[in-house]
Amino acid sequence: MSQPLLEVRNLHTYLQSGGREVRAVDGISFSIPKSETFCLVGESGSGKSISALSVIRLLPQDIATHPSGEILFNGQDLLKLDDPAIRSVRGSQIAMIFQEPMTSLNPVLSIGEQITEALQLHHPGMSDSEAEQRTILALEQVQMPHAARRFRDYPHQLSGGQRQRVMIAMALACEPQLLIADEPTTALDVTVQAEILRLMRKLQDDTGMSIFFITHDFGVVSQMAQWVGVMQQGKLVEVGACIDVLRKPQHSYTRQLLAALPENLSKPVLATTQNLDELSTAEQTPLVKIRDLKVWFPIKKGLFRHTVDYVRAVDEVSLDIPQGQIVALVGESGCGKTTLGRALLQLEKPTSGSVQIDGQELTGLSAHELRPLRRKMQIAFQDPQSSLNPRLLIETTLTEPMKVHGIGGNDEERIELAALLLESVQLKRDFLWRYPHEFSGGQRQRIGLARALALNPEFIVCDEITSALDVSVQAEILQLLLSIRQQRNLTLLFITHNIGVVEYLSDQTVVMYKGKIVERGKTAQVCKTPQHPYTQKLLAAVPRLIM
Amino acid sequence: MTETTVSRESFSAHIWRKTLDGVGVKVGLAWIALLVFAAVFAPFLANSMPLLISKDGIISAPVLRYLSVEDAWVLATFFIALAVYRLRLGSGKRILLFLLGSAVAALLVNMFLKPPVLVIYDDFRTITYTDVDWRIMPPIPYAPTDYLRDLGSKGLEAPFKTEGHTHLMGTEENGADVLSRMIHACRISLSIGLIASGIALFIGVIVGGLMGYFSGIVDMLGMRLVEIFEDIPTLFLLLTFVAFFGRSLYMMMVIIGITGWSGYARYVRQEFLKLRKQDYVQAAVASGLPLSSILFRHMLPNGVAPLLVAVSFGVAGAILSEATLSFLGLGVVDAPSWGQMLDQAVKSSTFNWWMAAFPGGAIFMTVFSYNLIGEAFRDAIDPQLSRKAGVN
Repeated sequence: MSQPLLEVRNLHTYLQSGGREVRAVDGISFSIPKSETFCLVGESGSGKSISALSVIRLLPQDIATHPSGEILFNGQDLLKLDDPAIRSVRGSQIAMIFQEPMTSLNPVLSIGEQITEALQLHHPGMSDSEAEQRTILALEQVQMPHAARRFRDYPHQLSGGQRQRVMIAMALACEPQLLIADEPTTALDVTVQAEILRLMRKLQDDTGMSIFFITHDFGVVSQMAQWVGVMQQGKLVEVGACIDVLRKPQHSYTRQLLAALPENLSKPVLATTQNLDELSTAEQTPLVKIRDLKVWFPIKKGLFRHTVDYVRAVDEVSLDIPQGQIVALVGESGCGKTTLGRALLQLEKPTSGSVQIDGQELTGLSAHELRPLRRKMQIAFQDPQSSLNPRLLIETTLTEPMKVHGIGGNDEERIELAALLLESVQLKRDFLWRYPHEFSGGQRQRIGLARALALNPEFIVCDEITSALDVSVQAEILQLLLSIRQQRNLTLLFITHNIGVVEYLSDQTVVMYKGKIVERGKTAQVCKTPQHPYTQKLLAAVPRLIM
Repeated sequence: MTETTVSRESFSAHIWRKTLDGVGVKVGLAWIALLVFAAVFAPFLANSMPLLISKDGIISAPVLRYLSVEDAWVLATFFIALAVYRLRLGSGKRILLFLLGSAVAALLVNMFLKPPVLVIYDDFRTITYTDVDWRIMPPIPYAPTDYLRDLGSKGLEAPFKTEGHTHLMGTEENGADVLSRMIHACRISLSIGLIASGIALFIGVIVGGLMGYFSGIVDMLGMRLVEIFEDIPTLFLLLTFVAFFGRSLYMMMVIIGITGWSGYARYVRQEFLKLRKQDYVQAAVASGLPLSSILFRHMLPNGVAPLLVAVSFGVAGAILSEATLSFLGLGVVDAPSWGQMLDQAVKSSTFNWWMAAFPGGAIFMTVFSYNLIGEAFRDAIDPQLSRKAGVN
């Protein structure tokens, strides 16, 4: 092996935060050879992004210090360079793309202007027309359809995937030797993610650049990386060739992460077989019955705000959810799966159609008439930050709905019930007397589940409840969900975009695309032999671990 | 995961701690505390009558005998507020209890307190009150409307220039002590700020909350109402009302209150529109909680913080309105106010610096203090600002 392009030796990055020093990166060493990809994996807060920002020296100097370490780029120590020198390296030799395509482009400049600006900054002699030519070339390179016409488009006219392509075009316009990609596909749908990953691999073959890729997704790692490093609490616990690390993980933490992937979780066999037997009988008595449900949002335009068209978020959906089953609802973002979940609980008023639970019609009922029915159906949410009222004690959050619905005779009894609920989601009972900000994301999701269980419902809509969590926490929540479901004979509608979770958890799978259900059936059947072209595309796009 | 130490304090306690972090806000709060103290204990701080006298072995307190209905009510309310603050109750219950207590106090004081109708301050300097075993006088031994006729005061004396008496801030044209008037004027400035903003806040929260929660047609109508009220020029409305109905402090408070709520309504509406989509509000709806609980327990406390910022600026604005009106000579007649004192300073034949500097400085300090507090509040609750500063 020749001399590596980038060699990081014993890098330390300490951050000053509120008078304390946080060792965000604590002595990591790795190297990236020319034209190869190094993937850094780890859970949130492990210091992956800080490592990347340290390499390109983008951390604010007043809060970040590097007590020791070297970052050798082409044999030159980046930590020793002064500001003008590092600026000339940044962009022209090392470029970076970020996770959030929505915010990393300037909304008031056209995409062409933004790319030409970057070009002319690093090539001061370049004429406007030449820069424009180069920009269009770069856009073509990232397979932007109609690149020449797109030149004057503004970021809001592009989809998320297209914006990420523009970001890559901008990063590659100056032909850098190293591209740092900080979770570039995390905010994208799987199908778009697959395209972007394919594009990045192709660009690497064409230009011979190295890629420093940061991700939390082992599926992406196995598709992208030649080399992989596993990070935990600022330390690199394992570094090696991708195949070695994924197949024969040496460190216990790597093994633990790999085991927590939904596809590697061992399914509780007993429950599954039991359910398969029950399936035939259960299918005859659907708990929730949806018929021709439509949720259309009007698009209003003009002086008098008259309705010109509708966004058909949910368009004539009919679905039966059988008693005691977990039905997974999959689809990409914007396909209407969350709206469907909310419309079921009448949190979103359906435009037309019918929703029945236990034979009782829900649509058209007033808030007052709905109240007694609310006990039967509950919802758990995606975002652990916003799912709990920050001003209320957990105790109030759990007991207030009980009080309204007359569960428990008095306050002491209800508090006892709430404590039992917390225990049933594997939390301590004295967590009752705390506020939401004192908990981690996984704990909050458990509390969110406990709240959904407080009214002892028959049916719970779980709206992407594990999407914001790290894999190991996700695994715990999924296992918890299965055990609760068994104890209480719950029926779940599990909304997700993660096929691995679907395969692990659900009995039935429903695939949604542009507001309509395109495929449904037993999970194994849908995942193994998808019928609809969209399902096939979706499943093909899922990055899987190649073992 | 980097260890984040989580504190056990509640959200509001956290905001308070962060608000109190700065130096400016401490200065502001100290000044307001001083004003509150002066306003509540004004009759004991600046008065012509002795606090306690002992004559022929009998101890009496003339100041208590001459305590006006207003003085007594302010005192009672102050102590009720202190007592309620120490109770371990929810904030909603505390506010209710305080309002109730204060109303009962007003009723009792009005029924049972019968102070002498006529007070002749000169009497307190006669033998009856001076030929005693011992007596304790207030720190400033002059009442605000005591024109010191018996002492031959010529009026308009600069500080420390009078022979025989000390007037720390001089005297005004009628011969009354300026410091005493300053102390008694605190009450007007504080009460107009708090009550006018309280009225505005009450209307604003209700209208804004309904607009934000129901949106649609309610929101549309509410916004038109807000726009109508925004178009009313408060000062000219006040001038018109004074012209038609005469001068009254209470009228002033109400008018400033009912023209000032539109800003608060906008804040609350915007917060509620945002909060309505929050998962915990959706969860509350999904649990079938009653509307009052959703609005006042789950939404309002989470949307109230930006409102507090607006209120602190609003209080400052109300104080300025009163000062402006009094300065134009249209304020309250019977009690001193800072604006009115400024008016006196301008109208007197010669320029007397002590007549303008002290009340002007007090108005400046008070408005400045409220603005400092509002500023600190805003910094504490604005997550973006804290994140930029790296606090988080």
